[in-house]
Amino acid sequence: MAQTDIELIAHLMRRAGFGATRDELDAYAAKGYEATVEDLLNPKDAEWLGDDMVRRFDLEASGMINSPGSARSWVYRMITTNAPLVEKMALFWHGIFATGVPKVINGRVLYDQIGMFRHHGMGRFDSLLVRLAKDPAMIVWLDNQDNHSGAINENWARELLELFSMGVGNYTEEDIKECARAFTGWTIGNTNYMMVRSERDSDWPYGRIAYHFDYRPEDHDEGEKTFLGHRGRFNGEDIIGIICRQESTARFISRHLYHFFVADEPPVPSWPYTPPRDPEAIDTLVQSYFDSGYDLRSVLRALFNSDFFKSEDARYKKVKGPAELLVSVLRMTGEFDRPKREMIPRYQQIVWMGQQLNNPPSVEGWHQGTEWIDTGTLIERINFVSEQFGDTNHQGVREMVDKICEGGAERLSPEQLVDRCLDEMGAFTVSDETRDSLVRFAEGRHVRENVEQLLRLSASTKEFQMA
Amino acid sequence: MLHYLQTIGIVAMEGRGFEYPTDTVAAKNGRLYVLNRSRDFGERGVRVTVLDLDSEYYGTFGHLGEDEGLLISPMCAAESGQGLIYVTDDYTHRITVFDYDGGFVSRWGTHGAGDGEMNGPSGAAFDADDNLYVADTHNNRIQKFTSSGEFLLAFGSLGSSEGQLRLPWGLTVAPNGDLYVADWGNDRIQRFSPDGDFIAAYGASGRGDGELRRPSGVAVDENDYIYVSDWGNERVQALDGDGSPVQVLRGEATLSKWAAGFMEANLEEAEARASANLAPDLPDVYGDDPHTESAHIESLFWAPMSVKLDDAGRLYVTEGNRHRIQIYQREPARIASRPSDNTWLQNVQARKQATGTRISSSDILSARDADRT
Repeated sequence: MAQTDIELIAHLMRRAGFGATRDELDAYAAKGYEATVEDLLNPKDAEWLGDDMVRRFDLEASGMINSPGSARSWVYRMITTNAPLVEKMALFWHGIFATGVPKVINGRVLYDQIGMFRHHGMGRFDSLLVRLAKDPAMIVWLDNQDNHSGAINENWARELLELFSMGVGNYTEEDIKECARAFTGWTIGNTNYMMVRSERDSDWPYGRIAYHFDYRPEDHDEGEKTFLGHRGRFNGEDIIGIICRQESTARFISRHLYHFFVADEPPVPSWPYTPPRDPEAIDTLVQSYFDSGYDLRSVLRALFNSDFFKSEDARYKKVKGPAELLVSVLRMTGEFDRPKREMIPRYQQIVWMGQQLNNPPSVEGWHQGTEWIDTGTLIERINFVSEQFGDTNHQGVREMVDKICEGGAERLSPEQLVDRCLDEMGAFTVSDETRDSLVRFAEGRHVRENVEQLLRLSASTKEFQMA
Repeated sequence: MLHYLQTIGIVAMEGRGFEYPTDTVAAKNGRLYVLNRSRDFGERGVRVTVLDLDSEYYGTFGHLGEDEGLLISPMCAAESGQGLIYVTDDYTHRITVFDYDGGFVSRWGTHGAGDGEMNGPSGAAFDADDNLYVADTHNNRIQKFTSSGEFLLAFGSLGSSEGQLRLPWGLTVAPNGDLYVADWGNDRIQRFSPDGDFIAAYGASGRGDGELRRPSGVAVDENDYIYVSDWGNERVQALDGDGSPVQVLRGEATLSKWAAGFMEANLEEAEARASANLAPDLPDVYGDDPHTESAHIESLFWAPMSVKLDDAGRLYVTEGNRHRIQIYQREPARIASRPSDNTWLQNVQARKQATGTRISSSDILSARDADRT
C-alpha cells in the first residue's frame, strides 16, 4: 500500500473519527478510501465496551445525577467504538445544539439527548430538528415549558432560527414570535414537579427522575400564523418543514460541517459578515443537501469524497478539540479495556483544556479552532499527551514500543527510529523541522528504553495538536 | 411469594443516607450495613451506612482511603459467624474486616491471578464452617478462604461452558451448603458444590419470565427457592428449585421514613410531587428498554445490585441508581399495613383547599402520623 494512500486514510480517520492505529489504517486502506467512507457513514454492528460494563463498574455513569457521569459514559463509547463517525457527529451536534447541565440539572436527559444525536445525527435534518424540539433537555434548556398559548416564551424559537438552522439575518422578529406560537404545548411531563426539583437542584429522595416529552394540545395555539411568508395553522413540525426548505438553512448547516470537518471558520457570530473560506465547497454541500432531501449522510459523503477535503493543504490545519484530543490519545494508548477509576482524572483533563461535555459555556457552544488554545490549555494538552504516551503500563503504548523495536531498536538509524515511531502513531506526519528535532533527540539514544521518550516527544509536537 | 414491605433510605452524599449503594448486610445484631460506592468513585460518599429496619441511624464507617479501615470502591459484603462484616473492594483488590461498630479488624488481598490473589473482587458469602467464598470477578473464578484469609481453593475460568464464568458478581451459600453464583456475563445462575463442582445452571439470556440479563445477585431459601436480582432487566425474579419462574417483581417503592422526613421539611417540593403523575406513559421514542423506563419511573427497580435474605424471610433489594433498599417479605407473609405513597399529603392538601389556609409543618406531621397508625 502506497504511503500516500495510508496518509490520506489517516487524514480521513482524524477528521471523521478519532484517529487510527497503524494496523487499523492498513485495514482501511486495503478496502479503499471510498469504501472506508461508506463504512463510516453506514456502520454495521457497531460495537463498543457496552452500556452493561459501564453501568456495572462506574455507577454515576449509570445513575447520572449530574453531567460527569453522563460525559464519562460517552467518553467510554468514543474510545472503544468501531463506528467513530457516529460519535463524531454526536460531538458535532452537541457543539451546535449545545445543551448544558447548569439549567437542565439532570445528567440522564443530557445522555438521552446525545443518544438521539447518535441515532439520528446522520439522517434527515428535518427529522433531527423535530426530535430536537421534542428533546426534554432542550425544552428545559431553552424554556419551552414556559411557552404557552397566549403567553409565549420565544427562547427556543429564537435559537432554533438563529443558532440551529438559518442564522442571523434570514428572518424577522415577527417570524420568531410566530415560530414560538407554533411550539406552544411542547413541554415535559410533570412540568411543575420537575422544575421545582431542577430549581432546587434536588436529587431527593431517590436520585434524578428523567424528563419526558409531553404534548399538551390544550396549551397549543391553534390559530393562524405567518412564518417566512407562509400562512397556516402551523404546529411545530410545519415550522421545521418550512425552515428546512430555506437555502439559508442549507448554507448554515453546510458551513458548520465544513468548519468541523474541513477547515476552521471564524466564530459563528461573524458569519453574517464574513464570507466562507471556500464558497465553492459550501455550494457543493448545499447542492447535496437539496438533492438528497436534507439527508445529512449524503452531505457528509459529498464532503469526505471531495477534493477540498482530500487535499494535502487541508491536513493538520484544524486544531483538535479537547474531546477529540483526549479520545484520540486514549484510543491509541489503550488504557481502558473496562471502566476504571482512572477515567475521572482523564476526563478532568478535557475540562481543564476547556471543554466540559454536557456543559457548554453558552447556548452558542464552544468556539473552535485556535480559540481552543491559550497558554494554560496548551500546557494541559502537552502534559496530557506526553504523560499518556510515556506510560508503558498502557497496553497500546507497550504494543507500539514492541512494534517499533521489532528486530532491535539499536539496529535502526536515528532517522529510521523516528520514522517508525511516527508511523506507529497513525501514519503521523510532521514538518521537516520537527522531524529534524526528533532525529537529533534519537541520536545516541536509539535503544528500546528511549522509544517511549521519543513517543512522548512526538506527541508533544505542534502537529499532534492538529487534525 | 414475595410481598412488598417497605423502602428504606434516601440519597445523601455523606452521613445518613446512601449514594450508589451496592450491597446490604442484614446482620444478626439487627442492624443493616449498607455499602456506598458513591458518585464519581469517592471523596465524601464512600462509606458503610449503619441503620435498622425502623430507619434508626447509627453512623458510618469505611470512608474513602487506602489506610486500614478505609475503602476505595466497596462492592459486596458478608457477615461471618463471628459477627464480623467482610467488605470486598474491587479497586484495592482486598477484603477488609470490620466489627459491628465499624472498628477495623484486619484486611488481606493483593492484585493478581495466583492462588489467593484477586482482580476486582465482588460477591462474598460465608458457609456454615465460616469459610468465605469470593467472586474474583476479573479472574473469572471463585475463591474460597478461611475467615482469616488463608487460601483454600479456586474454581472457574473464563467461558460459557458449565462451570465457567464471565465476570461473576454476587453469590450466596444455600442452606444445604451449595454455592450459587450470579454469572453476570453469561446471563445465568450457576450452582456448585462446596468444593466447586458444577451442579446446575438456571436461566438463559432474555427478558421473558425465567430468563435473565446480567444477574447481579442471588439468594436461596430453605425450600430451594432462588431469588435473583435480574440487574439488566431491572427486576427481581423468584425461581423454584428447578429454575422455573415463580414470580417477577418490577419494584414498587414508596417513601421511606427518611424520604418522608425530607418531604415534611420541603413543602414546595412535597406539594409538587403530590400533584405529579409518577408513573407516566412514556413516549414511544424510549422504546421498551427497562433501564430507560426505570430512569423515568421512580418506583421501579433501577440497578438492583444485590438481593439478600435475612432469618425472618425478608428480602433486601439494594438499588444502586435509586439509593435505597426495597424490602419484600417471603411467605408466610407478615405484612405490616402501610400508607400509600402520597395519601397523607393529599389529605392535607384537600383540607387546605377546603379552608383556604396554608399548611404548616405540624399539619403535615400530624396528618402523616395519623395515616400511619
